[in-house]
Amino acid sequence: MENQHAQKMSVILISPDLEKLHAGALVGSVAAAAGMEVNLFVTMGALQSFLKTAVANKNFTRGSIGQTMLDKEVPLFYNLLQDGKDIGELSVYACAMAMDLMEWEKGDLLEIVDDVIGITAFLNMSQNSQVIVM
Amino acid sequence: MEDVKVDKTVDARGSFCPGPLMELIKAVKAQPVGAVIEVLSSDKGSANDIPVWAKKVGHELIYSDQVGDHWKIAIRKTK
Repeated sequence: MENQHAQKMSVILISPDLEKLHAGALVGSVAAAAGMEVNLFVTMGALQSFLKTAVANKNFTRGSIGQTMLDKEVPLFYNLLQDGKDIGELSVYACAMAMDLMEWEKGDLLEIVDDVIGITAFLNMSQNSQVIVM
Repeated sequence: MEDVKVDKTVDARGSFCPGPLMELIKAVKAQPVGAVIEVLSSDKGSANDIPVWAKKVGHELIYSDQVGDHWKIAIRKTK
């Protein structure tokens, strides 16, 4: 990055709620668009919303805004994350612990997930970064 | 704003935040340095966000005007 002041952002997604996933993806994708290095760690309930089957069936918990997003066919969190990847430096990591626990494979997850990593690896990459938890 | 030759216009009307910004950035990437790229947006948030983004990444804001029910925002790619 030419910008010497380029900063890092870490977004930790925990909730399966469509609105929280969207908010986290929004912040992350726009930060990537503004030149920040962005790493997302997807864990707990959020991981289940990254399953291909959940996305295919629009099986997300949601409130009224989330429902309206679906009704109006707004680009959803995974579209925003793909934009962030296309435009800037954005990576998505699935939590190894939750993957093991649920016996999910990386192939069960959306293609935007770069890798399955543990918290130690994520702590390492999120050092000195701004952290946002959703 | 009549004096500026626009090289590329992106019509992002109807797209919600951050859609217009994302579409603008994709267009900026595809254009050479010096090109003027204009985005049409009906999203009020983008009218605030796009100038901030341009300033942050160092592109020149040419104009940001409300025209009827939408905004016309143009930037010059500087790098």
